[in-house]
Amino acid sequence: MSEKSNRWFVVTALVAGVAAAIVLRVFDPATAGIFPPCPVRYLTGWFCPGCGSLRAMHRLLQGNLREAWAMNPLTVILLPFLTYGLASHALYELRGRGLPQPFLRKRWIEALCLVIILFGIVRNLPLHPFDLLAPGAMLRP
Amino acid sequence: MFCTQCGATNADSATICVQCGRNLQPGAAGVPLQATGVVMPPAGTTIQNYLVFAILATVFCCLPAGIPAIVYAAQVNGKLQTGDLAGAQKASNNAKMWCWISFGLGLAVTAVSALLFMARILGGLHHY
Repeated sequence: MSEKSNRWFVVTALVAGVAAAIVLRVFDPATAGIFPPCPVRYLTGWFCPGCGSLRAMHRLLQGNLREAWAMNPLTVILLPFLTYGLASHALYELRGRGLPQPFLRKRWIEALCLVIILFGIVRNLPLHPFDLLAPGAMLRP
Repeated sequence: MFCTQCGATNADSATICVQCGRNLQPGAAGVPLQATGVVMPPAGTTIQNYLVFAILATVFCCLPAGIPAIVYAAQVNGKLQTGDLAGAQKASNNAKMWCWISFGLGLAVTAVSALLFMARILGGLHHY
């Protein structure tokens, strides 16, 4: 890909990202009904590791960290790292080098993979305190 | 000077990167660093592991297809660690491919469930 098309790609992605953030800030995914339901949840009835992440981001965009955490703690933890990673990828496309990144060892990546899978399993268990990990469960009185 | 691996700014006289530990001496590429046991790839090579996209694809698109993407992302770094550049490149390509598969499947399933959702609403309207 040429440098110019790289730039267009990054700009398009950035504009789309900002537009999505504005829509997500204005409309609450819990009530608005304009966001598609999670396919895993819709087809199987189980919570996937990402369930509640749109609602979490909506609350984060409104500055409510406590409610965001209750919707999906994994998203709240991973979001800063993912944002940094995406920014690094964008800079890599633009100028050929990304942001400083520590070399992640194979084991750490595998551990992260395991954490995502386990989080997906554990938040479906009907046992206390695991049931608190289901989206919004921590907000219930 | 800038580190060729992570982009961190280093003193011009630096021999290893302050950020990632990469060997910055021009002639010393590929030499194992005793401190970490990491063999650094020759200067100028960047092999993306697509970890960010693999995680996004796993969490947002399609979990079953996202997992291989993360596993291949881990392989990229595992092979870079041992200096196997060809293997790392191959794993990188696989990670990228699985990210796209996950994205495509996620999009397809979302489209189907959105259709089912609409059909249910329309079906509901029909009964009234």
